[in-house]
Amino acid sequence: MDKPPHRLPVFLNLAQIRFPIGAIASIAHRVSGVLLFIALPVLAALLDASLRSEADFASVRGLLSSPLPLVVAGMLAWALVHHVLAGIRHLLMDVGIGGELERARASARLVLFAAPALALLLLVWGLS
Amino acid sequence: MRLFDGQRAWVIQRISAVLLLVLIVLAVLALPFASPLDFSAWRAFAGGALGGPLIALLFGALCAHAWVGLRDIVLDYIQPRGLRLAVLSLIAVVLLGVLVRVLLSLAAVALAT
Amino acid sequence: MRLNIYRFDPESGAPPRMQAYEVQPEAGDKKLLDLLMRLRVQDDSLSFRRSCREGVCGSDAMNINGRNGLACLTALDGLKEPVVLRPLPGFPVIRDLIVDMTQFFAHYHSIQPWLINDEPLPERERLQSPTERERLDGLYECILCACCSAFCPSYWWNPDKFIGPSGLLQAYRFIADSRDTASAERLDFLDDVYRLYRCRTIMNCTEVCPKGLSPSHAIERIRLALLRRSS
Repeated sequence: MDKPPHRLPVFLNLAQIRFPIGAIASIAHRVSGVLLFIALPVLAALLDASLRSEADFASVRGLLSSPLPLVVAGMLAWALVHHVLAGIRHLLMDVGIGGELERARASARLVLFAAPALALLLLVWGLS
Repeated sequence: MRLFDGQRAWVIQRISAVLLLVLIVLAVLALPFASPLDFSAWRAFAGGALGGPLIALLFGALCAHAWVGLRDIVLDYIQPRGLRLAVLSLIAVVLLGVLVRVLLSLAAVALAT
Repeated sequence: MRLNIYRFDPESGAPPRMQAYEVQPEAGDKKLLDLLMRLRVQDDSLSFRRSCREGVCGSDAMNINGRNGLACLTALDGLKEPVVLRPLPGFPVIRDLIVDMTQFFAHYHSIQPWLINDEPLPERERLQSPTERERLDGLYECILCACCSAFCPSYWWNPDKFIGPSGLLQAYRFIADSRDTASAERLDFLDDVYRLYRCRTIMNCTEVCPKGLSPSHAIERIRLALLRRSS
């Protein structure tokens, strides 16, 4: 077959593709992982400060209990819960549990719904 | 720049995941027994023979896990070689920085107590 | 029935566009392919591949309402209108719904899709016990239609390096075959960040396989075989 004369088009418009539930759980796994990565240096800095002096410890504590960055806290809570739940799902699939399509769909749905709910609970518990 | 190829990266990702899971479960189980934290108690825990290694292990696992995961994302979405190398290096620097900082602060506490 | 079909003519130099069609199914028209054949009478410039019209040759894979499938196995009943037809995602489009499968088959060849066995030939055929034969169920049925690989994001991002679900299912078909003695070499070849480990088990492949196979399961088995070998 002759090589086509010019670059051929490729159809890859993600908005026009109907993604299965497993793909949505997976992209959320990625997004949550990136969020947690961004939080990691902050966590290290907080740990460092909390061990430095009495005053720094108090200010870290004040920062953690202030409801000011509520949106940030909510996002991180969701990221943590989703990442952990989706991770457990994958680890179970590795050892042969829930790898069939029907069960994988059900567990993906469960993770996607449970993560925001548990994150909200975590947030409420953290504020109280 | 691969740093952990094929299977090794996959295994490290799984092992660090299980480790983190265990640490999270331990933390949740320990929570009801923890007394309200004050500075000296927190320092004693982090500088102790149990707390120090646990915190170091936590951050070690976090960094290893984050490296494999982020590297996977870069290999998927960033194709130009130069940009890919730059982003991978940035990630490595951040993770290494986190690790060094945590180890230094833990060492400082351990030496002071 | 109303359809909306991706059109591309390499000779015109114009970018791809969507074209609306209206066609009346007649008695006996059951599958999407039947309708496409009627459309070709209406507009003979419309191009697509098809051959066996019963899900064996794997020629008429396309993106149907956002999901990959075979036109000949997709029932007209229950199809949402307008039926949007596009070529397989991520594959270079040659014309309309016809894509260039060169790379896809290059990956297939890379896994050496034939039995390798250096032992002396037996008098008759190499025998398999029924249990050994059963291990090939769910693997040998693959018709290489590319529905799975063209629905896999990992394949979209690295089509030149990731073997893709179809090629990996085929690879496992030979690893699992009792008559093949090259499992170790096959596993060596697959142990690579790109070839095998781009898979994140999102299972898009299994979702769209028109033969009901599970490439994601085969990939999982390859990873476990690699793990078992190195421990």
